[in-house]
Amino acid sequence: MTNDNVIVTQALRKFYGTMEAVRGLHLTVGRNRITAFLGRNGAGKSTTIKMLLGMERPSAGTGTVLGKQITDPEENRELRRRVAYVAEDKPLYGYMTVEQTIRFVRSFYCDWRADIEKRLLQDYELPLHRKVNTLSKGMRTKLSLLLAFARCPELMIVDEPSEGLDPVAIEHLLQALVARSAEGVSVFFSSHQIAEVERVADQVCILEKGRLLVDASMDELRQFYRRIDLVFSSLPPECEFQISGVERIQTSVRQMCVFASSNADAVIQRAHEWNAVSVEVAPVGLREIFLKTVEGN
Amino acid sequence: MLWYKAWLETRSRFLASLATLTLFSAIFVHHAQGLLRPEWKSDFNRLLFINQQFLVIMWVLAVVLLGMGGLIPEKSVGTSSFTLALPVSRARLLGVRVGMGVLEAIVLAVVPWLAVFLVVSLARNRISIIQVVSYILLLVGGGTVYFAMAVLISSLVAGEYAAPAVAYGIVLLTAMLFDAWLVRLTCGDW
Repeated sequence: MTNDNVIVTQALRKFYGTMEAVRGLHLTVGRNRITAFLGRNGAGKSTTIKMLLGMERPSAGTGTVLGKQITDPEENRELRRRVAYVAEDKPLYGYMTVEQTIRFVRSFYCDWRADIEKRLLQDYELPLHRKVNTLSKGMRTKLSLLLAFARCPELMIVDEPSEGLDPVAIEHLLQALVARSAEGVSVFFSSHQIAEVERVADQVCILEKGRLLVDASMDELRQFYRRIDLVFSSLPPECEFQISGVERIQTSVRQMCVFASSNADAVIQRAHEWNAVSVEVAPVGLREIFLKTVEGN
Repeated sequence: MLWYKAWLETRSRFLASLATLTLFSAIFVHHAQGLLRPEWKSDFNRLLFINQQFLVIMWVLAVVLLGMGGLIPEKSVGTSSFTLALPVSRARLLGVRVGMGVLEAIVLAVVPWLAVFLVVSLARNRISIIQVVSYILLLVGGGTVYFAMAVLISSLVAGEYAAPAVAYGIVLLTAMLFDAWLVRLTCGDW
């Protein structure tokens, strides 16, 4: 099974003082897929990524990336050679020019593609001789993406890749991610832009307060998640609808809104048993799934 | 390329320090010739000694500045995740930084004295090469302790300005303690 997964963590935990940022995370990221890592600010996404790349030492638990132990410094150094990473704040050395930065990063990787570098430099219109600290946020993001895309890694880990980009650049980025995935590169990306995630992701993981709440494919989410709006002449007790698969129930006067991750048919049947006046079932988008999931916690 | 990064990070501090130390030494020795007593004319021992006193102070201040840097300061400016994502061990990151710092510290000790040697030679005065070499060795050998201290402080104290402040505080403290010890020693209390 490990060969099918590029990232595997077992009971991964991280404490900052008494605050537990990541709470026993069991995460698996499949090979050759685009896996989206969603969560609110402070949910533990970036901390998890930092632990995977050896930047933070886990307080407990284990994990592997591309079959290499994340807690072993030597193995972690080897895995970083095979992973392209775009960090959240697009940190780059302000004292280097664009050209120096590219030359610097290129020297560490033998899988560097000069042709892609050249093409992206043209596409992104990056000024080679300008210092990084004089670049706009969007330009810094483009440079960070160039440094990741100009390689042929086995895995790309990108944290908020579209931050600061204009809609055209975002479109190009999403296409590039899909193209890379089609070439056999596994992509693990964290984002707050759910519309973007919905377009490209094969798998979605939702993290909240350091815990993994959802780990499902986009197909599963589309197939099983439902919002069921019910109207009754007299509202039945909520507990009657607390059945397996029901994630959240909201009631007001004679109306009930049931949010189900599965088992929608059982909810509908229960609604008919309670003589529902109206039953409306609607598929839910990723945005609503995300909101209901994190708000429910 | 890590050496290149280390050079880019420290070059402005290094070049500014090098220019200051070299110009100071050359100008000091050149102008001090007029202040020399007749009995010193034969050699510049006393003058070189005074120059060395000033150089020690400025050199220590410079190498403490060169010792600043590394992952902790990078964390405060937000670039540490970029550095740590590179396929390089932390030991190598530290090794290159220390190596570059030591090389620059040696250059900072040698070049000002070369400038002094040049100024003295142009004025057709005699200078003891052994004395100059021993000053350089003393400067590098003893002063590297301050560089090591700066590297340690920089690896422990977070904040772009906090680390240099703490390091200079320690330099000042050790200088005061050493001075007090020297006074007591020369007064014959010890």
